[in-house]
Amino acid sequence: MSGTTAEPAEGEVTATEEVEGHGGEEQEYTLSSRIEHLNHELSVLALWGPLEEQQAEHAEPMSVVSSSWNLGSLASNFTLTNYTFWMMPAVLLLVLFFMAARSAAKVSLAKADYVPKGILNVAEAGVDLVRGNICTDVMGPEGAKYFPFVGTVFFFVLFNNLLGNIPPALPGTGTLGTTFLWGIIVFVVYNGIGIKKNGLGRYMKSFIPSGTPGAMKPLIFLLEIVSHFLRPITLGIRLYANMYAGHIMLGVFAIFCAVAIKNFTPVGAVVLPLSFLMQVVLRAFELFVAVLQAYIFSILTAVYINGALHAAEH
Amino acid sequence: MEVIGSISALGAGLAFGLGAIGPAIGIGMIGGKTIESMARQPEMAGRLQTTMFIALGMAEAIALLGFVLAFILQGVGA
Repeated sequence: MSGTTAEPAEGEVTATEEVEGHGGEEQEYTLSSRIEHLNHELSVLALWGPLEEQQAEHAEPMSVVSSSWNLGSLASNFTLTNYTFWMMPAVLLLVLFFMAARSAAKVSLAKADYVPKGILNVAEAGVDLVRGNICTDVMGPEGAKYFPFVGTVFFFVLFNNLLGNIPPALPGTGTLGTTFLWGIIVFVVYNGIGIKKNGLGRYMKSFIPSGTPGAMKPLIFLLEIVSHFLRPITLGIRLYANMYAGHIMLGVFAIFCAVAIKNFTPVGAVVLPLSFLMQVVLRAFELFVAVLQAYIFSILTAVYINGALHAAEH
Repeated sequence: MEVIGSISALGAGLAFGLGAIGPAIGIGMIGGKTIESMARQPEMAGRLQTTMFIALGMAEAIALLGFVLAFILQGVGA
């Protein structure tokens, strides 16, 4: 499989044609090769990238964009994969959604009609969730001050996750680059807030809880430093693993369906409806996971900011 | 080299599989206790849920370390 992944999109198309040409001769008709070829056919349809594509060290851009965009020597490693491509429509939708909600709010304020309807209602529910359930519940009344950042995180992740559930699209958060970057942004922001609020000396001192015996202090300090550096990593991996693994599952059952249709046997007749049903169930579960992961990501952001704010107290 | 590759692949699977046992038990306990508390005091459900998600995040983080370790071990054989 590694031989074909290195080929550009055109090569993939010819590879698929070859498979269909050899199909009658029954050369290497094992199930695993079958699944490999089907996997490539699906990727040609831009429904699904080859399973190991994302794990490859230098992931080739997938079929939506035919070649990597060379942005000069500084950014020559930049490749637009399917995942990162779908981040752009998601952000565009996010901006358009809130611009529409803003203009709806202006209209309703001008008419002195304070009951939100339609898009404004949805936007208000979302904002209320983040400001009420995430910011002020975790950080207390002063949490509303950090709503802009936490809200940005929440809605970016939410729109990416949800867009990934519309079949040709993939979640922009289903790739480590995006999620790690957000983890690092959260790390920088919450440490910045902590240092700004407490001063560098007191913030660093807070890494050692009061009442620690003298000999234990260096060890505890080291442990706290490690646990702080693990935070962006776990934030990033949690989101990436949830989004990517969900789509792997969907892809596996899609391949099952495709295999069962292609060589229709009595076993296939049983597998096909079951895996189709599994697709439906998993799709519903993915919708739930999309919202849940956005919630968890932003609530942990709020918890970290809260910890940094009250660092001097313990 | 092939032996190292296959052993590290096995190790990667074991690292994640064994590393997920503890967090899985922990997440189960967190979820179960939260349901228990919500049944006792339904008026506290909102705050309990928030706390539950925070605790879930902490427990999950340990499983994710195994996930990273699995990727690192896969790289050893390749």
